[in-house]
Formats: sequence, structure tokens, C-alpha cells
Amino acid sequence: MSSPKVQLRLNGMRKSFPGKEAATQVLDGLTFDIHERDFVSIIGPSGCGKTTVFNIIAGLVDPDDGVMLYRGQEVESLRGRVGYMMQKDLLFPWRTVLDNVLLGLETKGVDPKRALDTAREYLSTFGLSGFENSYPKMLSGGMRQRVALIRTLVLDPDILLLDEPFSALDYQTRLYLEGILMEAVETFHKTVILVTHDIDEAVALSKRVVVLSQRPARVKAVHDIALNEHSPIAARSDPRFSGYFHTLCAELDIQTRKSA
Amino acid sequence: MTETAQVVKTAAPVRRREKKRRNVFDSLIGRSALQILAVVGFFLLWEAAVRWGWLSGFLVGQPSGVLRNLIGSIANGSLFADTGYTIFEAILGFAFGTVIGSVIGLALWYSVFVARLVEPFIAAINSVPKIALAPIIILWFGTGLLSKVALAISLTSIVALITAYQAAKDADKDLQALLFSMGASKQQIFKRVIAPSTLPAIIATFRINIGFALVGAVVGEFISSQHGLGHVIYVASSLYDLNTVWAGLFTLMLVGFLFYHLVEVIENWLLPWKQQQGGTQINV
Repeated sequence: MSSPKVQLRLNGMRKSFPGKEAATQVLDGLTFDIHERDFVSIIGPSGCGKTTVFNIIAGLVDPDDGVMLYRGQEVESLRGRVGYMMQKDLLFPWRTVLDNVLLGLETKGVDPKRALDTAREYLSTFGLSGFENSYPKMLSGGMRQRVALIRTLVLDPDILLLDEPFSALDYQTRLYLEGILMEAVETFHKTVILVTHDIDEAVALSKRVVVLSQRPARVKAVHDIALNEHSPIAARSDPRFSGYFHTLCAELDIQTRKSA
Repeated sequence: MTETAQVVKTAAPVRRREKKRRNVFDSLIGRSALQILAVVGFFLLWEAAVRWGWLSGFLVGQPSGVLRNLIGSIANGSLFADTGYTIFEAILGFAFGTVIGSVIGLALWYSVFVARLVEPFIAAINSVPKIALAPIIILWFGTGLLSKVALAISLTSIVALITAYQAAKDADKDLQALLFSMGASKQQIFKRVIAPSTLPAIIATFRINIGFALVGAVVGEFISSQHGLGHVIYVASSLYDLNTVWAGLFTLMLVGFLFYHLVEVIENWLLPWKQQQGGTQINV
């Protein structure tokens, strides 16, 4: 097997935030690679700086130190090229479903007519035709998060940054949306980085799992997940699933015990 | 078998807690009837008190006299002329004040530095009772329309400014972050997040500022004017003509009331996404 091509490399990322008394060091020389068409989950103890990693990649936060390489080229951030999705759906309440999906395309300056066609096409692909003119507050949580996913995908981003996108949803809706996500990733050939607290979700969806240490975060371990199935339900019934699950649990457990 | 049947037969039916019943008058017609009843009762009581000598008609006026006065000034056209004049001043003051204030308030979002720099000045200006400026404003802008409009602007613009600035500062940071990660420029973030999310707050100030604009117009007319309801009220009160004073006041009240509801219409029109949450309250 040839070694996979690196799409994004974070090298020696350091970041501290000024605090009341002393600065809090959040990232301590964080280094990891994302391959082309990778699906990497980042797990780690609460408050270890997972979201900071995303904010640095998306250009919302400047690192104190460290280099980001995109396909071998040094870049400041991937602002404008990532699809960022958070736990909150962040739909604009004053925009209809259609206008929410159009948000990124408008920002990018895509021709309005083409943007409209694309948006409608995506909405129908994801079964939301007929809701174009609804306002977000009229939709269920699962539907809202589906709209948020469409809004992210319609931009055709180089990398999807998913920050616990499903953690506010009930288990059924979550499995359903995980399925939709996996299908979309397959169809559109996307690279995904997923931050999650849910080890179960990380194992079921990912090709690789990066485990971060307690703050200041460093990469503690990287696990390749070799399940045959990546549809969320089938993956969970793979015989190797529970092995991975327990390995990762153990790794996080040690962290929590140390901190206690 | 028989035993269970017995149980079912003898068990006392469980009483459900009685549902809270709405007041019989709690409907549009019922409420309107009560409201009209209150108003009519108030005026009848007032009229009766004056007629039977419990209150001095000279000091408090008399509803029948107010009514006669209103009919008279409607007939000779002076009521409409004066009302129109005051409304015109108030609307000009309201419109300019709201626009100027909102634009400055929103513009302050663009530069945190400038905003911090001018914050104490805004607070200082806000703490000046603007009515106290009236004599100076009349000195500067004369006794005509301009001084009333300027007074109304001085009252309304600061409210609009502070509200717009605060709302812009409070605009959802996550929505801004999301748009920024999509590569949006500052202008785009302003247009797509800041402006629409401050709109409800700005419209909410319309309600307050309609009142303030009327205050500005009327106070300006008190001090020096040839027209307007404020002028009518001022002249009448110096002549102890209480009925005319009341006629002017009730007209002002009606004007304010109509404007208030006009704002509601504008709100529903501009903020369709805010609708249909209804006035539901927890039934305690």
C-alpha cells in the first residue's frame, strides 16, 4: 500500500490565551497530518483545545507559533476554503431555508442564478424540497442541522470541519444524520475532520482517530480504524468495533484519572 | 373476575383538576366592551362631578365642553391644520433622528477604537436632558419648523444611536465567525449579520422615539410658535381655557396611539421571521 498523500499538515502549533492571572497554554506544539479524502476524528478530554485547532485552521484564531501546509504549500489559514459546522446549527433566523443555503454562495460572489439552481438542487438531494421558504424556527432540530450541512456542502469546501455537529440531537436523528453525512462525503469526495466527544461516533465514521492529551494539547496517539463498513449502523456491528472502542476509552480514561 | 368488576363499579371516578377557564370577557369583543365601558364611565363621572359641583369646571374642564370644542375646531378646520403641523414636525424629527442615530450607532461597530473613544461622550450627551436645550435650539434655528424638528432630532437620535450600537455589539458572534470562515469581508459580515440582527432593536426604538418626537415638537411649540397642537395647548392654558387644553391633549394622545400601531404594522412587514410566536404565556 502506497503511503497516502498529505492534504493538510499542522506542524508545531502553539497557542495560549491571555487569562486573568497567567496565560493559558492551550496547544503545545500540536502536529498531525490529514490525508487526501481522509476522515479524521479528533477526540480528547473536555477543554483540551479541539475547537481552537479548528479556529486556527478556519482562520478565526492566529496561532502563536507553528506552520500549516496545504498540499505542500505554506498557508496562513484555510479561510474561505473550509466548511465549518458547529454544534449549534447557526442558521440565520431572518433567512429562509433557501437563503440560508445561499449564504456562502452569495459571500463567494457566485452568479445569483447559478447559486439558486445549485441551492435548489442540494435541497432536493437532501429531501428538503418544499421547505425552501420556511424560516429555521419552524423546523425540527434534525432538519435544521441538515440545512446547516447542506449550507456547508454547497460551497464545495476543500475540508469539512465538523465541531460536534450532532451532539445536540437525539440518538435516532444522530444516526440518521451520520448516515447522510457519510453518503455526502462519499458522493462529493470530501475530506473531513470531526471533533467529537463521542468515541462511538468517532470509531463508526472515521478512517483515523487522533487522540489529544489534556491541555496543553499534544497528539497522544493516532489510530487507524479499519472497519469494512462505514455506514453508521453497520460499522457499529463490525466485530472489530468494540476493540477500537475500548482502546480509545482506555486512552481517554488514563487522561481523566491523571487529572483527578 | 367478579371482584375486578366490583372494583370498577365502586371506584369513585378520578376527578380531573378543573381546566383553567378563560375569563368570559377575554375575547376581542369582550375586551373592547370593557375598555369602552371604562372610558365612557370615566367621562360620565367627570361630567357629573363638574355638573353637581364636586369639581370646579374652571380648573379641570368639562367633557361636554371639550367635545363642543373639538367639534368646533374640526368644523373650522383649525384642528386638522394644527394636528397636521405637529405631526409633520414630529415625523421629520423622528425620521431624521432615527436614521442619523442608527447610522452612527452601526458605524461605530466598524471601529472598536473609535467606539471606545467616543463612548464617554455619548454617555455624557445622553445624560443631558435634551429639553433643556430647547431655548438654545430656538435661538439657533428660529421659531419656525426647523427648531421643532431639531429638538425632536436631538431627542430621538441619541436613543437610536445607543440602541443600534448596543445591538450591533451584541450581534451573534458565532454567526459572524461562521461567515468569516467562509471568507466574508467585514462589509459582508456587516451586511449579512450586523444589519439584519440589529433591525429588531432599531424597530423597537421606533415606539419610544415616536413619543419623543412628539415631545420635541410640542415643547418646541410651547416655547415659540404660531401653529401646532403645542401652541394651541400653551395659549389655551395661559387663558385658563381648560377645555381647549384637553381637546389638544386628547388629539395628541390619539396621534401617538395611531403611530404606535403603525409601528406594529411596520414591524410585521419588516420582520416576517419574528412572527407567529404569539403572545403565549405559561398558564399559571
